[in-house]
Amino acid sequence: MQDLKLCAQDKRGIHELEAGKDLIGWDEVTQGSVLPSFEGDASNVAHLKQEERCYSDFNSYTATVASWRVKKPVFNIDVCIDCQNCWVWCPDTSIISRDKQMLGIDYDHCKGCEVCVEVCPTNPKSLLMFAEQEDLETALSQWPEKKKKEK
Amino acid sequence: MAEKFDLQEREVWDGNYAASQAMRQAKVDVMAAYPITPSTPIVENYGAYVANGYVDGEFVMVESEHAAMSACVGASAAGGRVATATSSQGFALMVEVLYQASGMRLPIVLNVVNRALASPLNVRGDHADMYLGRDSGWIQMDAFNSQEAYDLALCAFKIGENHSVRLPVMVHQDGFITSHTAQNVYPLTDEAAYNFVGEIDPVDDMLDFSRPVTYGAQTEEDWHFEHKAKQHKALMDSVPVIEDVFAEFEKVSGRKYKRVESYMMEDAEVAIVALGTTVETSRVAALRMREQGIKAGVVAPRVFRPFPFDEIRDALENVKSVAVLDRSSPGGAMGAFYNEVSAALYTTENRPLVTNYIYGLGGRDFAVKDAMDIFADQKANADAGHITTDIQQFSGLRGPKLGFFKTKRG
Amino acid sequence: MAITSVKNLKEFSTANDRFEGAHTLCPGCAHSMIVRELMNCTDDNLVVTTNTGCLEVSTAVYPFTSWDTSWMHIGFENAASAAGGAEAMYKARKKKGTLKDNDAPVKFVAFGGDGSTFDIGFQWLSGAFERGHDFTYICLDNENYANTGGQRSSATPIGATTSTAQAGTHSYGKKEKKKDIVAIMAAHGAPYVAQLAPNKWKSMAKGFQKALETEGPCFINTVSPCCTEWRFDPKDTISITDLATDTLMFPIYEIIDGHELNILYRPKNVLPVEEYLAAQGRYKHLFKPENKHVIEEIQKNINEYWEMLQRREEARV
Ligand SMILES: Cc1ncc(C[n+]2csc(CCOP(=O)(O)OP(=O)(O)O)c2C)c(N)n1
Ligand code: SF4
Ligand code: SF4
Ligand code: SF4
Ligand SMILES: [Mg+2]
Repeated sequence: MQDLKLCAQDKRGIHELEAGKDLIGWDEVTQGSVLPSFEGDASNVAHLKQEERCYSDFNSYTATVASWRVKKPVFNIDVCIDCQNCWVWCPDTSIISRDKQMLGIDYDHCKGCEVCVEVCPTNPKSLLMFAEQEDLETALSQWPEKKKKEK
Repeated sequence: MAEKFDLQEREVWDGNYAASQAMRQAKVDVMAAYPITPSTPIVENYGAYVANGYVDGEFVMVESEHAAMSACVGASAAGGRVATATSSQGFALMVEVLYQASGMRLPIVLNVVNRALASPLNVRGDHADMYLGRDSGWIQMDAFNSQEAYDLALCAFKIGENHSVRLPVMVHQDGFITSHTAQNVYPLTDEAAYNFVGEIDPVDDMLDFSRPVTYGAQTEEDWHFEHKAKQHKALMDSVPVIEDVFAEFEKVSGRKYKRVESYMMEDAEVAIVALGTTVETSRVAALRMREQGIKAGVVAPRVFRPFPFDEIRDALENVKSVAVLDRSSPGGAMGAFYNEVSAALYTTENRPLVTNYIYGLGGRDFAVKDAMDIFADQKANADAGHITTDIQQFSGLRGPKLGFFKTKRG
Repeated sequence: MAITSVKNLKEFSTANDRFEGAHTLCPGCAHSMIVRELMNCTDDNLVVTTNTGCLEVSTAVYPFTSWDTSWMHIGFENAASAAGGAEAMYKARKKKGTLKDNDAPVKFVAFGGDGSTFDIGFQWLSGAFERGHDFTYICLDNENYANTGGQRSSATPIGATTSTAQAGTHSYGKKEKKKDIVAIMAAHGAPYVAQLAPNKWKSMAKGFQKALETEGPCFINTVSPCCTEWRFDPKDTISITDLATDTLMFPIYEIIDGHELNILYRPKNVLPVEEYLAAQGRYKHLFKPENKHVIEEIQKNINEYWEMLQRREEARV
């Protein structure tokens, strides 16, 4: 699968959601069940890209829901016009756009809802659903041709 | 900057006024409140301070007690000092949020002017509301008069905000008997009071954006138990902090507080265990009993939560017969306070006889004579070596005598 | 205030997400589209409070949080009071100078489902608006108690089936009209009130920004299609929203200072409501002949409401 970890220290998706933390005891859980989202000074997070931030292990960015998916969206950069429809409507913050360019899909957080495919305006679409096991090469090799407008 | 408030060395304040002065001197940042008899004057007095520039903080007059405590929770997590006041039905409406405040470990101070719970509706003092809070995870302290309502309110901030405690604190006083009775109160100066309480040092501050925090996460069966156990441990471990704060308060005020206040217990043979203004009534009764040659004493928890299991036991283990007075309708059981004291005494060598009196519901007067009758019952038990009456009795109730359960020890 | 440019989607897409993935909302859930857009339309510090409901139970499941800013959940009904309390504390501490950063602007936002907004939390919401706290309240209106399995709320429209107002041999589903929450909140005299929809991303982002910029309590009702309880395929969340706005089932408009009404979206081609209803399982029974009158009633209500909105916009009163 195409993996878009954007830098080495990127902690995206390193935890299984259901497993949670190693199940620690009462003496180690956080006081008041409060969860800090970051480690260190996070004053500037709104101006940092995700891969530049120091997420704490409590941040769901560090968790994965990949196992929820049965089908996955595959991105074909050759057809994409960077309209950002998929970015604005993805409910799982799983479209990775940087500097106005769609780069690909965050497969740790994508749940396979197919919304991005529906809202993609290109012809043929730049995003299509494939079986979870399908590799990128094969998926891209099966990409449909431009469709003539029906009706 | 707030205007200077002129205080005399000795003031004549009722319990409500005493509590509101403590809120002013502690420089509460947010007071979110809703009026209800008999605690209304605390809120009104504070409103007068706001109107006349005596406080700098925000005064949020909400639309219900539930909203009052909710706003207190939001405000407290936002890092400043927070207080409010309520009674009875208002307290009942707050209950959902009381548990949330303690679960999130927010050091809110709540002045509770004790009053009965309807139905039937009643505005007078009993301890039904205080009991309703007893599993809520708050520290609960009990004032027997106006001076104590003032003193304990100041101590409450310092205890709850201590980093090794971080728990909300209730300060109880009896509706009307304390809240509306003017008594001599010796306040600290504003400087001395604030120096004692100190500045709040926030923990997990929602307004510190260098460290954003999530409050109120969902914890299901794999996490909830650990969180509740940790919270319980914090409550149990607050004891040394409470004792330290009482010791520091003695240094600045000369007034000494203990987790359990014992009166003439050194050689006591019989004892009353009570809460609130009844403590003072029982003390007068104990003196009178002693004039008759009966060695009577009074034991009263100053700190109701965490329950002083150890100190109650130490105070009472050598007594022969103990009466535990519950000022709340027991709802199909022995009085809750009775059960707690009995459990402590069951772990002693001597196992004193323990009986239960339900009294004073809805503000029914409890006179020295009533307390003396209870002492006389205890003396009879002590002499007989077993409980001679029903284990649960009702003091001051009209109609045929009501009582439940006999001892199996006699 | 530091707002993100929403001139076009390319500009908007440079915003750095502050609402993270691996929350546990259903695939295709519109709640998170709306929340993401709110979080992305400003880079100011935010204190967000949330009532109990799908959003809350899915975004802070110990030991994970999806919120990159300060966030609080207390109960089902009191997010507005919590936001008000936090906002009061902000004012108090700013005055005293005890904030970590006394200059950085802070915005307060409360989220609630329709259950908490229209029903159980209405008193808390109304109280906070009357007191005039400087915050924005956003209702995620999916017209049912989704978190507890899809019971009716006072936001459920006539004819929809829910588990507590079921369609059956003796019932066509909910019989009562949806409460007009936008009008009720406007009647509080709030400086900014709007109804917005995630398919119209730009008007939604602009509305959010306006609410955040406006001093005082602002209210926004957002249409939040719920694939699970409305019964449609998750991929269709946006196309269902398109039908909702194009049939005028959910007109998009704002009301300023309690009276100045502006329609924000006028469909070129208004579609018959059947198209919206037919796309969802919760209205399936309405297409039985004996329930035809319900569809007629829904259409009539839509037409009348649209007429009213247009007249009010024209009248400027
Ligand atoms: C005081 C209280 N009553 C009932 C509930 C149960 N409850 C939790 S969420 C919910 C429904 C939420 O519906 P809504 O506000 O519309 O949010 P949604 O889940 O649809 O987004 C209910 C009934 C509760 N948590 N607290
Ligand atoms: S399938 Fe759904 S979750 Fe995955 S990238 Fe597309 S819109 Fe996002
Ligand atoms: S919606 Fe399609 S064309 Fe637009 S950015 Fe996404 S992939 Fe590219
Ligand atoms: S039930 Fe509906 S509102 Fe709740 S998470 Fe699922 S789609 Fe979203
Ligand atoms: Mg809902």
